[in-house]
Amino acid sequence: MRFLRLQMPLMLTALAGLIPIVAFFMSPDVEWSQWLKDRLERYMVIIASFAILLGVVNVVQSNVRKIERRQKGWPYGATLLFGMLAMATIGILGSFRVGPFQGIGYTPDGGRTPFQWGAEFVFSPLQATMFALLAFFMASAAFRAFRARNLEATILLVAAGVVMLGRIPFGESILGGRPYLAKFTEWLMDWPNAAAQRGIMIGAALGAASLSLRVIVGIERSFLGLEKNE
Amino acid sequence: MDWLTKLMSLDRRYIFLFVAIGTALPILFPIGFKVSITPPVRNIYDKVESLGPEDVVMFSFDYGPSTSPENDPMADATLRHCLSRGIKVIVIALYPVGGVTMADQSLSRVLADFPQVRRGIDYVHLGYKSGSQATMKQMGESMAAVFPTDRYGTPLEEIPLMKRVRNYDDMRLVVSFATGIIGEWWANLINAQFHVPIAVGCTAVSAPKYYAYLNSGQMIGLLGGLKGASEYEKLLIDHYPDARATYDRAGLYTAIKGMDAQTVIHTVILVFIILGNVAFLAGRGKR
Repeated sequence: MRFLRLQMPLMLTALAGLIPIVAFFMSPDVEWSQWLKDRLERYMVIIASFAILLGVVNVVQSNVRKIERRQKGWPYGATLLFGMLAMATIGILGSFRVGPFQGIGYTPDGGRTPFQWGAEFVFSPLQATMFALLAFFMASAAFRAFRARNLEATILLVAAGVVMLGRIPFGESILGGRPYLAKFTEWLMDWPNAAAQRGIMIGAALGAASLSLRVIVGIERSFLGLEKNE
Repeated sequence: MDWLTKLMSLDRRYIFLFVAIGTALPILFPIGFKVSITPPVRNIYDKVESLGPEDVVMFSFDYGPSTSPENDPMADATLRHCLSRGIKVIVIALYPVGGVTMADQSLSRVLADFPQVRRGIDYVHLGYKSGSQATMKQMGESMAAVFPTDRYGTPLEEIPLMKRVRNYDDMRLVVSFATGIIGEWWANLINAQFHVPIAVGCTAVSAPKYYAYLNSGQMIGLLGGLKGASEYEKLLIDHYPDARATYDRAGLYTAIKGMDAQTVIHTVILVFIILGNVAFLAGRGKR
């Protein structure tokens, strides 16, 4: 049991982590390493698809619990489950071409299958609506939160103001058509912004590399879901 | 209650009202602000200009309907540019939540203006594939291993265009229209390992992070939000008479038209930020 729950997953993880690293540093002429790398990449595509199943199980579990306990907002949970079930059913029937559900994209004559219809006329407008609401909340949040409370906040405020003006033609208009603000915005993006972004990226990459190393050598085991004393 | 207190505690519904009016009016009554071109956009345009009918460009639709007002115009404009030059185009989608629908819609909008373009010969639509990073890496070895058929079920070996495209080595440019992290993977994973030139069209909110890749040479150019898309449209309109006719068409949503609304909204938000700070500083001075 211990072998299945601990040793085997650790060995698989170590192998999956080491193969791409070894293959990366070996010549493309070495057949066995390239063969292993290609296999692993194919398996990754398949395994990644299983992540969707994991997501579905998680969404169902948490929403069913919410509905059962009549927690706040439970009707939204019910709507979510209904929408997911409806689209999944239409999609699965379409994949097996059952009755009127002939595929999940367009029909050969250019018409829409029921799944495509749902994606275009229900899902797309809903998602676009959700994102469009952001404009209203961002304006309100900017009014309330963007205050020159101290030096750091003032620098941020001025930089944001310059970028907002520099990214619209009005910024040029108020300077008599001269693109100073646009150029200053590009400078801000090219230098201070890029430097800060690079710092964040390098930090995150080093963190990811060290965590990967811990996982490969078996120090980091939390992903196995073991109890404390196992 | 003095005016300062009133301003500080302004009901947010007034702000919502201004945003709604600021968006609706420029859409109903276009202003037509001048568009100036920035280097990251010019670089992509110049790269496409350097390509010809023997070259292949791949478009990856890595966004969904939520950001389509920003990403659609840039996808349409670059696709239009490539087809105008006779460049062969491969379309894929890696974004799970609507990427392939965005690709379908963009192709159908643009192809309506190019009746001479033939499916399988001048362009190919390979559809969606899950797996993101793994899929992207595997395309570096073999496109056929990732996409055995195109979006319409035709095996890849039967598609004339795909007979000469094995992997990234056969492409001169990859353009990703991205809303999330997939655009970054094209730069830091695919460019780094396979050296294919990458251009990214992203939403304005995610544009800052791409400047690091742009400066390091991992990307050849960047279309940042609606502004970037409007610049590309402007370049097309200035250099391609057919594009001018297309973009002048009434009822067609374009980034240049969208920039009117964005300009007014940015100004409205800036005015509110200034008012908020005036009230804040005056209030602090009083205390």
